[in-house]
Amino acid sequence: MQATATLRPARPALAGTGAPRSRRWLLIVPALAFLILFFAIPLLQNAGRSLGENDAGVFANYIKLLTDEYYLKVVVETLVVSFNSTLLSLIVGYPVAYFMVRRAGRLALPMLFLLVTPLLTSIIMRTFGWRVLFARRGIVNDFLMWADLIDRPLNLLNGPMSVYVGQVHVLVPFMVLSIIPVLRAVDLRLEESARVLGAGALKTFFLITLPLSKDGIVTGVILVFMLCAGSFVTQLLLGNGSIVTLPLLIFQQFSLTQDIGFASAMGNLLLLLVLACLFIQLRLTEGKRGNK
Amino acid sequence: MSAHRFHPARWGWALLGLYTVLFFIFVFAPIAVVVAVSFTAEQGVQFPFKGTSMQWYARVWEYKPFVDSLLTSLYLALSSAVAAIIFAVPAALWLGRSQNGIATGVASFLLAPIAIPALIIGMSLLYFLSSIGIGVSFTALFIAHTVVSISYVMRTTLSVYRNVSPSLGEAAAVLGAGATRTFIHVTLPLIAPGIFAGSLFAILVSLDNLALSYFFGTANVTTLPVVMLSYMQNQFDPAIAAISTIQMVISIVLLLIVEKTYGLRALTTQ
Repeated sequence: MQATATLRPARPALAGTGAPRSRRWLLIVPALAFLILFFAIPLLQNAGRSLGENDAGVFANYIKLLTDEYYLKVVVETLVVSFNSTLLSLIVGYPVAYFMVRRAGRLALPMLFLLVTPLLTSIIMRTFGWRVLFARRGIVNDFLMWADLIDRPLNLLNGPMSVYVGQVHVLVPFMVLSIIPVLRAVDLRLEESARVLGAGALKTFFLITLPLSKDGIVTGVILVFMLCAGSFVTQLLLGNGSIVTLPLLIFQQFSLTQDIGFASAMGNLLLLLVLACLFIQLRLTEGKRGNK
Repeated sequence: MSAHRFHPARWGWALLGLYTVLFFIFVFAPIAVVVAVSFTAEQGVQFPFKGTSMQWYARVWEYKPFVDSLLTSLYLALSSAVAAIIFAVPAALWLGRSQNGIATGVASFLLAPIAIPALIIGMSLLYFLSSIGIGVSFTALFIAHTVVSISYVMRTTLSVYRNVSPSLGEAAAVLGAGATRTFIHVTLPLIAPGIFAGSLFAILVSLDNLALSYFFGTANVTTLPVVMLSYMQNQFDPAIAAISTIQMVISIVLLLIVEKTYGLRALTTQ
């Protein structure tokens, strides 16, 4: 890559793009114009709308959002639920990525396909599936009764537990897919050296493998956190109000609320949260490139 | 001595393998159960159930909102993907051969709609469109879905094009091919897998994008996820399982078409 980069300026017109070099920048105009008009401007307009012109001051909506007991709880819950779901996805997904890279061999590719196929199904389908499995007379309760772990069916639905199961189910493939490439690049000789020098399997894993796969973990964590912070369908259909986050509140209040400014402020706060994640991600990838 | 050392490791791998099997059961259980329930002969949702039938598929067929919104969703997903190709491919051609700071910034901006929650894009766009006189309609849905689809097509096309050696296009030019001919006969076939993969992503995401569609639906024109959500909130019957299974089959067929045409390597090299 570096060699071609240094050669490039010496070369003549960059052919193959379908346009002469001088006017080549015109290629970007349609996409840029479309997204400025229908993406950037609406988001900026939304930010503008969130700043009130009423007596309470410019930031009145944000002050309400961050001081009112109910709304502050929602903001905090958004962060907590996203954090917990991300951590759970990491704990559930890492061993699977590890097994797929180290032991799956020829099965690795089919397993990769198995991992991607759930992404072909709608989120509504998957939440419906959990509702069937977790039903009072559903298969999970049946199994627990059969195993004598419980005496009577538990109410597994409509609580934080079912929301977390649903969230992790949606998010964990993204985590595994983020970790696999980095784990694959870990130099096995480093692990072997550690073993030869007398470290046990667990010690080797925690001192060598885990730190070396940090990049994949960070990528996965940021991606999953962002996806989670913007999602609401699982909470809506599996939580029954037990967990209320910003996107769920925006969704539920949208058709009811008269206070457009406040709805815009909620949306903008969520946007800022996601942009912060994107910024961290960008800084980390830039830092990585700088080291190389 | 050595046997004693090897045992724990072997047990460890066996446990990890078992865990991986359980993980895939966890991944597929809710999907499999929905497909199963869609064939139930019972009047309500229960699993396990007795007897199979196609009655819930008949119910989907008779329930007009399901059929109408499925057609709307398909039409919307395909048309916004085509629009996204028209916008994104030229842009990728420029970005893929520019390495300055401006190009990097522009690329980040064009990829941003993937990362921003669709709910926020939808809500903001709703107010903006109504301020310029476009109310809730298919046009509004089309604009909203194209915004997101551009990023998906852009991402895969760009990554494929960056791996195409610039010298191929230059060779064609040296040999006398004009800019247009070079594009059609050299560049386009090389980046086609990226375009196809990106369009596939865009279509799959569009079909399931409840948050983006929710704001723009009217009584007559709305998308499948919106209809499914309101149906599920009102009644809990296996018709949802049947329509979900139909949607899944459509997605799998689309995936297989792309796989047969170009292979899925472009998807996995992401």
